[in-house]
Amino acid sequence: MSAQIKRSVSLYSYQDEYYDGKLDLEGCLRETAKTGATDVELLAEQMIKRFPLPIEDEAFRENWFSMLKQYGLTPSCYDAFLENRIYDNRTLSLGEQINMMKRDLRLASLLGFPVLRTLVSTPMDVIEGSLEYAESVKVKIGLEVHAPFSLNSHWAEGYLKLIQKNKTPYFGFIPDLGIFCKNLPDVLRDKARRAGAKETCIRIVDGAYQSRRDKGFVKIKYDLNLGKANMEYRLANGLKEMMDAVEKAGGGPADRMYAESSFTYSWSDPKDLIDNIDYIFHIHAKFYNVSEHYEETAVAIPEVVAALKTAGYQGYLSSEYEGGEHLRQDMDVDSIEQVRRHQEALKRAIEG
Amino acid sequence: MAGRQIYRPDGFSNTRYGERVTGFSFQFKAQYYRGFTLSILRDIQIEIDGEKIDRKDIQIEVNKERFTLEEARTVVDPDYRWEFGEYATVYVKKNGGLAPGVHHIRSVQIIAPSYMPFELQAVCETDFVMEGDSL
Repeated sequence: MSAQIKRSVSLYSYQDEYYDGKLDLEGCLRETAKTGATDVELLAEQMIKRFPLPIEDEAFRENWFSMLKQYGLTPSCYDAFLENRIYDNRTLSLGEQINMMKRDLRLASLLGFPVLRTLVSTPMDVIEGSLEYAESVKVKIGLEVHAPFSLNSHWAEGYLKLIQKNKTPYFGFIPDLGIFCKNLPDVLRDKARRAGAKETCIRIVDGAYQSRRDKGFVKIKYDLNLGKANMEYRLANGLKEMMDAVEKAGGGPADRMYAESSFTYSWSDPKDLIDNIDYIFHIHAKFYNVSEHYEETAVAIPEVVAALKTAGYQGYLSSEYEGGEHLRQDMDVDSIEQVRRHQEALKRAIEG
Repeated sequence: MAGRQIYRPDGFSNTRYGERVTGFSFQFKAQYYRGFTLSILRDIQIEIDGEKIDRKDIQIEVNKERFTLEEARTVVDPDYRWEFGEYATVYVKKNGGLAPGVHHIRSVQIIAPSYMPFELQAVCETDFVMEGDSL
């Protein structure tokens, strides 16, 4: 089947303008439409105040759908958070978590979203216990595959078995393109420099990332104790050696920040997308900085889109700008321009 | 080239009970990307001019309701979320409040989103001017 890749924007991308009060929900929709994207992804908890009450309100929903109509947009994905540690003295019971997942599926369907994004911390039992309900409201549950997690890993295997055991099209993966970083984002490096990082330490960290990439990342294991899984993953990928080298080179706080941050990015072979294409119905097109020549400086967009074409992907690429977090401490963030450039870069890769 | 605004510049003032100045208040925005129930706000730590404020002397107000940090642990009502991009008001008990003039505040917002393996800590620092007493 030939690929049909559609372009979406996650309103997460506009968070800095929203934070400053320069854009409201409607403003974000208007900007999305201007980029040429046809679809929109929403974090209800980010831009709908008094969550989840307004979504239950018919007048609110009428306004939502009339705005979508006005700007010619279709809902692509609803980002849920499964706040299963909403109280600090316990984790919600399995039944409570399933009820929360069902609530979120229902909210997604009320706003017209065909897909719900759930986070890597979602226990398998919660997904399994929600599948029948997901089918009844026609909303697919997509598990975000976000660095340090990856496809074709021990972590992903368990979820694959769950799909196969239940023979369900209502559960699958939402890869985040942060798992296809060919190098660390330049905006992160520049932030480290502004904070006083030394060029020798920057070279050590960049070199360590390059060697992780060349050798192949040791992949993360499934463990509900995410802290433990994450630390094992970091150690297996040379955290200690890198930190020792930074220490030896006289690294200070800015150098250590750069070194530690390097583990929030990872590289997987884009062919992982081809292997798993039957289970992928949405993609977070994470990006950090697109140049004026429409080149993303860390994520391998051309290689990823080529793999998706080979695989015959039929879903969305949803722009998710995250470079602002490396700028906002020191300067203004222009998410609007970044998303515009990113959509153009995606368009060129898809149509090229 | 200016970084993001965290504290409301004109949001600092002394608080009174009758004639007495009992403390001060300020307003700031949560350094996270979505609104959240106060129950995942694990702590607000405050140092004013280098002096650490006791946790029990801190209250947070959202949507006109005020909670101690201890009370905030169980607040899950949708009307009292700390909304993304909105200021919360923090009340600090401190006899006599703050003298007119320049002060330095360092506060740490600590929140625990369920999916994160560790708590998020955002250090928020600024200098500000406490206006003189107009009474």
